[in-house]
Amino acid sequence: MQILFHRRIFTASAFCALAAIVAGAQTIPPPAQSSTTQTNSADAKPAAPLIVKDDMERLVAVPQPLKRIISLAPSVTETIYALGAQDRLVADTDVCSYPPAAQKLPKVGGPFTPNLEVIVSLKPDLVVVAANSGNRKETADALDLLHVPTYATNAKTVDDVLNSIVKLGDVLGVGEQGRILSESLRARLQELHHRLENIVPARVLFVVWQEPLISIGQETYIADALRHAGAESVISTKQDWPKVSWEEVVRLQPAYLVFASAHPEEITTMMAGVRNLPGWRDLKAVEENKIVIVSDAINLPAPRLVDAIEELARHLHPEAFADAPHAPAGVVHLAKRVPASMHTAEGTR
Amino acid sequence: MKPLTLSRLFWICGSLLTVLFVVVVVALKVGAVPISIADLALNLGRVILGRASQVPSEYRFVVFDLRLPRIFLAMLVGGALSVSGTSFQALLRNPLADPYVLGVSSGGAVGAIMGLIFAPQIPLVAPLAAFLGAIATIAAVYFLGRRKGQLDSTTLLLAGIISASFLSAVISFLVTTLAGQNLRGIVFWLMGDLSTPLPDALHWVLLAGLILGVGAIYTTAADLNVITAGEREAIHLGVDVTRVKLVVYVSASLLTGLAVSVSGAIGYVGLLVPHAMRMLFGSDYRVLIPSSMIGGAIALVAADTLARTVMKPTELPVGAVTAILGAPFFIYLLRRRLQ
Repeated sequence: MQILFHRRIFTASAFCALAAIVAGAQTIPPPAQSSTTQTNSADAKPAAPLIVKDDMERLVAVPQPLKRIISLAPSVTETIYALGAQDRLVADTDVCSYPPAAQKLPKVGGPFTPNLEVIVSLKPDLVVVAANSGNRKETADALDLLHVPTYATNAKTVDDVLNSIVKLGDVLGVGEQGRILSESLRARLQELHHRLENIVPARVLFVVWQEPLISIGQETYIADALRHAGAESVISTKQDWPKVSWEEVVRLQPAYLVFASAHPEEITTMMAGVRNLPGWRDLKAVEENKIVIVSDAINLPAPRLVDAIEELARHLHPEAFADAPHAPAGVVHLAKRVPASMHTAEGTR
Repeated sequence: MKPLTLSRLFWICGSLLTVLFVVVVVALKVGAVPISIADLALNLGRVILGRASQVPSEYRFVVFDLRLPRIFLAMLVGGALSVSGTSFQALLRNPLADPYVLGVSSGGAVGAIMGLIFAPQIPLVAPLAAFLGAIATIAAVYFLGRRKGQLDSTTLLLAGIISASFLSAVISFLVTTLAGQNLRGIVFWLMGDLSTPLPDALHWVLLAGLILGVGAIYTTAADLNVITAGEREAIHLGVDVTRVKLVVYVSASLLTGLAVSVSGAIGYVGLLVPHAMRMLFGSDYRVLIPSSMIGGAIALVAADTLARTVMKPTELPVGAVTAILGAPFFIYLLRRRLQ
């Protein structure tokens, strides 16, 4: 009984100590804000934060001036570079591979499981997440709790991507660049739309994964990108990443199979291996080698999505580009960018 | 135990095969492309008579290239899983034993995921790597499960459980380090899935493996009856317990490895079907092994048909269907036994 009593006291006191530590921690000012104050105190008086509504309808207080940005998604990193705001980007994720310079930035982990301690220790003024490409709501919530301002992008259509670029430009204080970039992308899409006015959309199967067969739903930005490129996904479901039945695909007989890959030779090797398997061999598109491998830029809601759309359109409807055999160059590249490359497996067999 | 007569065995297997036939016909009929029974009979007749060229191409592709092989695969995998479940339950004298418990499925899954991560462009890398993973796990658990040179049921069970949870942790580790797109394919693989078409020849390899494995286990059926009553008693009655255990362990593992390599981790079939068969036909292994094989085939063909059709054109992973239907059914069996 005596021992039990002591143990209870010990447990209680330990608990009190722990509670005190937790309470103490809460009173420490959040590092993000303290850094802002420090950087501002030297030359200017601290400006009032900019209150914006992000793509998830959350109100975000963005400290001004905005000096340290962390990107938690490849699409965000790409957009920040395209806006020319990369000198303020202090860290990104393990999978941010474009542009190549982004690979050299300090890393905070993967988009799904970023390291909160690393994020906080980098004292960001703003963390930008992409609600629809790999970031979790829990991450944004946790950053809110840590008083780190977090802005979420969320594009479900190609149009959303362009609008999202303008909004992010405004938030980052490069509104002019955002509007120029977005207008140039919109002009390219309009030009494309004009060229493709009289074509019949190609019926395609967009292959996300082959074992098992996973495609895209109609409400993804990829499906919307296909529509802009003069194509339509044969799979009509509201689910974003449906595992589709082979029977259904064989019945629908898509005219083209579209793959997205940064390594087209891997897809070519894979296709050579599966073309005689049941399912694949029953598709006319495989028999006629109508396989399109488009840049994996089509997977990201970022400026290069338009490059990928143009390249896909050129492959599917070459007759509409008879007067312009090469892709237009000199689009607004505020940062140094390489146009997305597209390769085709056609004729390589 | 009822005395086993040849006519009783025929009667049991015959009635189960009739059920299987009905389930297969329904499975052939329903799907993303609906087909009438009359057309089905007509075209099956054409194929059997060697006039396959008369079959309309849509039928040939959908029914004979996709649906029939898939049903055949479901029969093989279901049969293999439930015979190995029956065998492990006898071998470990534990009613909760199934291919999962010994970590074989997890080993297969680790193999498949490694294959998909490091060489995704190689066709059929998942089944090959899964089979290697399953075999490696089987060997490891076997050596961990021996005590004083003997295969000890308790040690084997513990070795299996530890290996299974260790390998699950490895899977979690691999999955968290993956990029989003690869993850989608692998998650389906972990849940068990029969939708990926296989080369035709692989079906015959699987059939040969199933016949070999089930045949080997069946030769020990009479001995298993004695061993379930107690190992010491079995030794006194002149049963070579060590040999029986080795044969059953290796054969059941081979069956599980084959099943996991083509379908991923499909749960509950190996646990439930043997129990259902035991309740229906008694616990004589000479009846239980063949009836489990046919029962497993029925269960998995039925589950896969649901997986294909419930949300068409989207498919569910068959492992999710077996778990959703299997868990309540298992609880029902348990409650009934208690009353």
